Amino acid sequence: MSNDIPEDEILIPLGPQHPALKEPINFMIRAEGEIVVDAQPRIGYVHRGIERLAMERTYLKTAYLVERVCGICSAAHQGTYCMTVEELLDMEIPPRGEYIRTLVWELERLHSHSLWLGVAGHEIGFDTLFMYTWRDRELVMDILEMLSGNRVNYGMNKIGGVRYDVTDEMKNKILKAMDLLEKRFKDYKKKLSEEPTVLGRLVNVGILKKSTAIKLSAVGPTLRASGVKADIRKDDPYGIYDEIPFEVISYDSCDLAARVFVRIDEFFESIKMIRWILNNLPDGPVYKRAPIRIPQGEAICRNEAPRGELMYYIKSDGKSNHPERVKIRTPTLANILSIGEMLKGSYLADVPIIVAGIDPCISCMDRVMVVHEDTGKAEIWTDEKFRDYSRKWYKKNLKWVVEERWKK
Amino acid sequence: MSDDKVVQNIETEKQLLNELKEKFGDKILDSSYVKRHRRVFVDVKNNAYRDVITYMRDNWDAIHITTITGMDTGESFILMYHIFAKKHKVVFTVRFTIPRDNPVVKTITDILPGANLYEREVYDMFGIKFEGHPNLKRLLLPEDWPEGVYPLRKDFKREMGGMKNE
Repeated sequence: MSNDIPEDEILIPLGPQHPALKEPINFMIRAEGEIVVDAQPRIGYVHRGIERLAMERTYLKTAYLVERVCGICSAAHQGTYCMTVEELLDMEIPPRGEYIRTLVWELERLHSHSLWLGVAGHEIGFDTLFMYTWRDRELVMDILEMLSGNRVNYGMNKIGGVRYDVTDEMKNKILKAMDLLEKRFKDYKKKLSEEPTVLGRLVNVGILKKSTAIKLSAVGPTLRASGVKADIRKDDPYGIYDEIPFEVISYDSCDLAARVFVRIDEFFESIKMIRWILNNLPDGPVYKRAPIRIPQGEAICRNEAPRGELMYYIKSDGKSNHPERVKIRTPTLANILSIGEMLKGSYLADVPIIVAGIDPCISCMDRVMVVHEDTGKAEIWTDEKFRDYSRKWYKKNLKWVVEERWKK
Repeated sequence: MSDDKVVQNIETEKQLLNELKEKFGDKILDSSYVKRHRRVFVDVKNNAYRDVITYMRDNWDAIHITTITGMDTGESFILMYHIFAKKHKVVFTVRFTIPRDNPVVKTITDILPGANLYEREVYDMFGIKFEGHPNLKRLLLPEDWPEGVYPLRKDFKREMGGMKNE
């Protein structure tokens, strides 16, 4: 499908994005009536040239640069970067540092998944869920602030270990928060699995067949919701993941409901992991001084970030104090192809929630072009308009759509 | 990290690399090596990568491609295909060099459909063309980015993109 705009239509760039959640992504959607026939995502609006910048900065400065690739999985980025440099240095960081690094990764998964649950609720008009989950997420944000001083971009990692230690008092606060979070999310899970209006928006929506997900190299909860038990923490263990007992969560229904429940169950697994880490925290330093000069070599590290597989490739020429090449592949990019597949054949009203379903780090569409094939008209829909359309459409059509879906 | 406490067992990785050498002969270059447990770098002649990747896909369940890394050494371009062989749980990096004055390679999207956006990213950043790609267009750079300017090439200067060098 070409991206050419029909001659009598103008593409109007829209103004500043919503500060709270969203990052810009553009879609070209071809619709026939209310059904999506084709969808082509266009990305790049937040491209900042970080790989280029990393080559111009020292290894030390790059550790702070890469943290800012993503606000929600910043520890995944920084931790994976540091892990990769540590591999180049052939150095092992102290066990306590390893444990704390993993603790922050799992805390990040908690805050990311609860954020997503709220966003998903918001996309289907379930603002109560949004309010509750974001309130509970504050518990995790408070913990991260207690540990690192920041709610976002914690600066927790450095080459050689972590920068902050965990005191016994912090440990007890975290464990208490885990109990509370577990109780609340168990309640949400129960309510979600029993609420027919919610299930009607999720079950059999946004289907991504298992074979397609594998073929398109999908990652993370999106992949696991299509029945594939793939998780970097188990398939390519790093850090202490080969020691922590945990389960890889997958669901077989290949739909949005599966994506919701995979993340909720992963939330519970992360809570268990955090408890295990805190109760088994070894003594000792959290950091070991790393040499400034990185020897010649290359290393690849992968991390199961909240959204899926994150990869860093770093090449050092052994001479200069900045990397020769830093390649970053974020999980959302791996799932973009899959969104196109999920959108085909779906109702326009489901587009926002399907896109949100991969938990994109380009969280919402700021500008979508909808081309109506039957009328030949093209228009720009903002995310507000989409959500509005969604709500109104579902108010009118919920009953028969749900019946149709339950039949499948 | 328990991996470092014991000597890593890289027998499987060595065997797999040998298997490739036996199958493809001198198309697998001597610089190929096993970096560590689960990491093998396979340097190949630049006319062999499609066959090697197809072999991996068909025999080692290697359908998941993590990404394609491009690199500019100044003298030539290097392409690295990072592929996960699920059967043995090993990340293979298939690597080859192409000349800077004719940066055209065949696509692998017919073998590994997941490579679609990664080839576009390399095209965007390096100007390497992938023949046979269904939709070879810029992925990340804006529509008004000047033609023929590729930011990750070694000779790129910021002014070339229309930015002032501050």
